[in-house]
Amino acid sequence: MIRIWPRSLAGQMALLVALALFVAQAINFAMLLRERRQIALEQVAGPAATRFVDAIERMAQGRPIRTDRGRVRLLAASPVRVHAPDEPAIASTLRGALIESGVPVGRIDTAIVPFDQSDDFARRLPARRRAWLQENGATLVIALQRPGGQWLVQRLPWVRRDPGLVWRLAGQTGVLFVVLLLPVLWIARRLSLPLRQLTAAAEQFGAGDPPAPLSADGPDDIARLIAAFNALTLRVRAMLDEKDRMLGAIGHDLRTPLAALRVRIESVDDDTDRARMADTVDEMNRTLDDILSLARLGRPSEPMTETDLAALVDAVVEDFRDLGAPVEFVEADRLPLRIRPSLMRRAVRNLIENAVKYGGGAIVRIEPSPRRVAIVVEDDGPGIPPDRLDDVFDPFTRLETSRNRDTGGIGLGLALARAIAREAGGDVTLTNRPGGGLAATVVLTR
Amino acid sequence: MLSAEAMGDTPHLLLVDDERSIREPLAQYLTRQGFRVTQAGDAESARTRLAAYAIDLVILDIMMPGEDGLSLCRHIAASSDTPVILLTAKAEETDRIVGLEMGADDYVVKPFSPRELATRAKVVLRRLTAGGSRQHAPESGSYAFAGWVLKTGERALVDREGVSVPLSTGEYNLLFALVTRPRQVLTRDQLLDLTQGREAAAFDRAIDNQVSRLRKKIEPDPKNPDIIKTVWGGGYTLAAEVTRL
Repeated sequence: MIRIWPRSLAGQMALLVALALFVAQAINFAMLLRERRQIALEQVAGPAATRFVDAIERMAQGRPIRTDRGRVRLLAASPVRVHAPDEPAIASTLRGALIESGVPVGRIDTAIVPFDQSDDFARRLPARRRAWLQENGATLVIALQRPGGQWLVQRLPWVRRDPGLVWRLAGQTGVLFVVLLLPVLWIARRLSLPLRQLTAAAEQFGAGDPPAPLSADGPDDIARLIAAFNALTLRVRAMLDEKDRMLGAIGHDLRTPLAALRVRIESVDDDTDRARMADTVDEMNRTLDDILSLARLGRPSEPMTETDLAALVDAVVEDFRDLGAPVEFVEADRLPLRIRPSLMRRAVRNLIENAVKYGGGAIVRIEPSPRRVAIVVEDDGPGIPPDRLDDVFDPFTRLETSRNRDTGGIGLGLALARAIAREAGGDVTLTNRPGGGLAATVVLTR
Repeated sequence: MLSAEAMGDTPHLLLVDDERSIREPLAQYLTRQGFRVTQAGDAESARTRLAAYAIDLVILDIMMPGEDGLSLCRHIAASSDTPVILLTAKAEETDRIVGLEMGADDYVVKPFSPRELATRAKVVLRRLTAGGSRQHAPESGSYAFAGWVLKTGERALVDREGVSVPLSTGEYNLLFALVTRPRQVLTRDQLLDLTQGREAAAFDRAIDNQVSRLRKKIEPDPKNPDIIKTVWGGGYTLAAEVTRL
């Protein structure tokens, strides 16, 4: 059953039509057989009854019935043995015909015995018919018990089966199937082609530029589905656009007071206070950036570009070093990869930022393998309790142990890094290093 | 046009922002920093003041009701030589490109440090005094040199195979300074001047260090550099043909 059931619409329709045709033909065949049998019975029983009546009349007129000659013979005992195969339907049909003719009927025995060329009814048949009967027929023996205990016996040709019938049926079914299959495949294609386009459009939805609306091809139902899908696409796009506009507005509305605050901070006389306030504003601004980026990530505006990942990580590390952060990059070979460079920079920057914040510094390595590339950011910090390693990815969750404002943050950086990596078909994982410290790994597929 | 600094005057800034909460404290701060500041709350009053005063530098908010900053920026660039620094609420690449194409000399992203804004204003004014040439003209676009393409919009360096090679902020600023002045000898001091003010980062690292990092990235043989050459006793020069794309 594994591969018999086809998966495609066209295949399923073709198979179903074939099965339905076969069943319908089988029912037809059964009915045909029944009818043929009925006709055959009547064809046999009618003449047989006539001959019996004729013989009985002849006996009544005193003319003898021979035991060794003639179509109807008179025997002392039934030639039919008890267990010989019989046809009860013949007996009952014959009985009915005889009673209709006013002949008292006793026992009727029937038996089908192998065809014998030497039977005198056989000798009267044309040679071809004889040969055919030899192959597919038999001899029917009918014995009718007379009131005297004697038996009137007839031997008749009997058609056992008709092999041609099966072939005719198969041929008929085949012709029907071929005639039906072409329109079935045509309609299935008409259905499945727009459906396949619809599937592709649904799969591509969201990535990159808005696709052109699908043309509403195919039967009415499908065309309506496509039209509804196009309308849905438009609505979703409008909502996404609206979301972008709203996020932009939120960003602007929050940045303006933040900017005002930042300007006013400059008039604070105490240097330490001023620096702390400026840091807080910067942190709020970074969080705002992260929130906006995270919210926009579903529709990145930056195109995929073939980029040297090693140079990218190196550049991020260099920016940290320029600011005096203790970050080391283990030199790596050129590694071109299709990514969104600005977003990937941000992901790597967030991981290094965490390492610097909680681990006091970072060592960054690139580990290429044939199928994947890993960017590993290691620190010597306290690590994360093993049962909380996954929680820190949830936006806005903080670890119990680092809840205070100075070291806590809101973990949005990690969530954003993971979202960026996943959008690129990869992931970010955290592990506690055996020797202590945390390792954050970005895995990308090549 | 002569700059006010060259004449020994205090430079006259026009500060255009519809947000009074930003404009007023910023004007106060810049005044303390030795600028003369005239304020405008919208594009219209900015035009009036531009006509009325000899403005040396315009600091311009992009997002304003009515005529926005970009449109005013285009007007200023088309009608005068007055340099413009844009205040933008978005750090998106597209805004940066658009702003610079509209003829702005520099931009800062909100929320900015007023100190940094003052530094950049001074840098822009000094550039004007020193070279007399505006920076925005060659700012946008791509530069091809020695098989590489430096794309300023995306701030990316692209190699022969079309693979983009990301640069750190310091490296980018240095390379940009060199590429826009091919075959000119630039002293370390000039390079520091040219690279500073663009971004807050990368001020203090030695130019030599950045140069050797850049060489490692773009030179076929970093030990015998052909592209960024050291001029003995002078500084550095980009010894390659540069084509603007």
